[in-house]
Amino acid sequence: MPPVVLAFVLVPLLVEAFWVFWPALQGFYLSLTSWDGLSAPKFVGLGNFSEMVHDEVFRTAAINTVLWLLLFGGLSAALGLGAALLLQQDRRGIGFYRAALFLPVVFSLVATALVWQAMYQPDGLINNVLGAIGLGGWKHAWLADQDTAFYAVIVPALWRQVGYVMVLYLAGLKGIDPVLYEAAKVDGATRLQQFRHITLPQLRSVNAVVLSVIVIDSLRSFDVVWALTRGGPYHSSELLSTYMYSTAFQSLRLGYGSALAVVIFVLAFGVIASYLVRAFREADS
Amino acid sequence: MTAFNANRRRFLVGAGAVGAGALLSSCVTQSPSASGGKSGGPVTLQSNLSSPQAKTAMQAVVAAFDKRGGAGAQLNTVASETFRTQLPTYLTSVNPPDAYTWYPGSVAESYAKKDLLLGLDDVWEKPELAGYSDALKKLCTSASSGKKVFVPTSYYWWGVFYRKSNFAKWGVKEPKTWDEFLGLCDKLKSKGVAPIGLGAGGDTPWVASTWFDYLDIRVNGAAYHRELLAGKHRFDDPEVRKVFDKWDEARPFFDPNGTAIPFQDATTALLQGRTGMMLIGTFFADAAPKDALDDLDFFQFPIIDPKVPVAEEAPTDGYFASARTKRADGVKELLRYLASAEAQELYLKNSSGTALPTHPDAKDAGTPLVLKGRKLIESATDVTQFFNRDSSDALQPTADTALVHYLAKPKEIGSILTTWQRSAQKIWSQ
Repeated sequence: MPPVVLAFVLVPLLVEAFWVFWPALQGFYLSLTSWDGLSAPKFVGLGNFSEMVHDEVFRTAAINTVLWLLLFGGLSAALGLGAALLLQQDRRGIGFYRAALFLPVVFSLVATALVWQAMYQPDGLINNVLGAIGLGGWKHAWLADQDTAFYAVIVPALWRQVGYVMVLYLAGLKGIDPVLYEAAKVDGATRLQQFRHITLPQLRSVNAVVLSVIVIDSLRSFDVVWALTRGGPYHSSELLSTYMYSTAFQSLRLGYGSALAVVIFVLAFGVIASYLVRAFREADS
Repeated sequence: MTAFNANRRRFLVGAGAVGAGALLSSCVTQSPSASGGKSGGPVTLQSNLSSPQAKTAMQAVVAAFDKRGGAGAQLNTVASETFRTQLPTYLTSVNPPDAYTWYPGSVAESYAKKDLLLGLDDVWEKPELAGYSDALKKLCTSASSGKKVFVPTSYYWWGVFYRKSNFAKWGVKEPKTWDEFLGLCDKLKSKGVAPIGLGAGGDTPWVASTWFDYLDIRVNGAAYHRELLAGKHRFDDPEVRKVFDKWDEARPFFDPNGTAIPFQDATTALLQGRTGMMLIGTFFADAAPKDALDDLDFFQFPIIDPKVPVAEEAPTDGYFASARTKRADGVKELLRYLASAEAQELYLKNSSGTALPTHPDAKDAGTPLVLKGRKLIESATDVTQFFNRDSSDALQPTADTALVHYLAKPKEIGSILTTWQRSAQKIWSQ
């Protein structure tokens, strides 16, 4: 093998090893220790993981993370596809609606969260509107109530994600050959049948992209939750990522925090790897 | 085509070189011996005083220090919450900021124990700090090394604050005892005002801890309170339960939005008369408009059990420095200046002026409010700091969760205290 080619492989590998693999391995090591970030880490074996089994907050965070994956993932895919179908036709002013739906994507999630925080305030926009239209009884401290906090946090995340997914689907819809629809019309297919038998199968490759984007985005969801509720009130909107951050950097239990990070890694890796394996198998057959 | 290839190759080689360079330089920064760092240049002062008035006042003090000639200082203001979570990282890094705003007592001790704080014995020997009280001297001395590690510059008091004009309008007066206090709450509620504002929502859930602190020092006394926070008692003990029994009596009078809004918004509600009063430290005035300051007054947290010696919360603020600073002389020069009467007066003049200076010769703002606050602290038989300062920063989140939970689900207090004890245990056993 010529040395240049070898260098092309080795140099990036070295860089990757130093900046990615080494810290990751350190994280694995730290997950086996008890460490306050100041003194030397103390080796405790699998102690952190066995603590997790009895940790109620961990259980809440894990359930919430799965719920988040299903709700945030499912709704953003469905709403994104719906918006794309609505906005695919070329009509006057359609560009405005597309831009409006896409606009939240360009804001950072922290900025998004700040705007929504103001709206959710006890005397914020949402409660004022509810009062004005005679639904005063629905007024609520949305972010401070454990029954609503989790869902109140999902809304801004969705608000942002829908536009993103819509754009992906719009691109996919543009790629479908119009001849297929014409043929279907000639055969007398209804709108629903066209959607079921042409649009959906043709979107398969886009679906794959959307799914992986959604899975990755929901597992790394942190910023919006942290900015709005910090996982509170009393852990009701806790995700694994926020719980990891607060144990590691607020309670300064970096060993346990690393153990949580390992769990997140395994989860993300498991979901994505199993999906990829399936996708490759489908591609082969 | 060839030009493109050559360009691309040059780019990749360049990228590889950058990567390798980064590798090398990272190796260098990781070894402490090789990190020379600059020993000259201004002293970096990391500050968490980010509310507008406090920040302006800090800038004025630093500017005055620079004008004297000598070391010179550079002020970095960091949002309070970020500062708190980053502090261990600052102190353990190889090239840390030199001096920091922070708190004395057990919070400083946790770092002093690990040799992360600069010994300041020679700063305390100089005339600037000679007249400081013995209580302050003790507070700033590390229990593990016996060295002074902290320079206090101001302290403030907590009290139940209200607007004089509003109390006059509602025809009510300051209460002395717990029963009078509950009576006052009743009266305010009947007038359609939320009697007690809180402000434990958003990113200031720690405000709720002061209700716990005060009820505990009024019911069980300051000595028990300190022992509890040091892990010598359990949070599910009957003594702690008594604290919440008292809290239950006042809870119906809390603003229902108490756990939904941060203390800054709760301050606004108080100033606008939507809430009647608020147990808070004087720092809240830094966010209040100046014209409202003259209308503010406070009363002492009501006495619950006359047999318990009266203690008050009076957290002390000031500075410590990193043991790894390369500008130890400059840092000490800065700290000496900050401890001087001149610097403390300058700070008070530019901020809301509701804090009290630690230097015996420094003049406070002299307003009736400040005089009353000074008297409150000076007549107390014991002085506590604040939940996190009497325990640790790591324990604070356990209190936040437990207390916010209690305010929403008071009936679950039994299980809340068990959970609190369990999470506190994890911190103490670390």
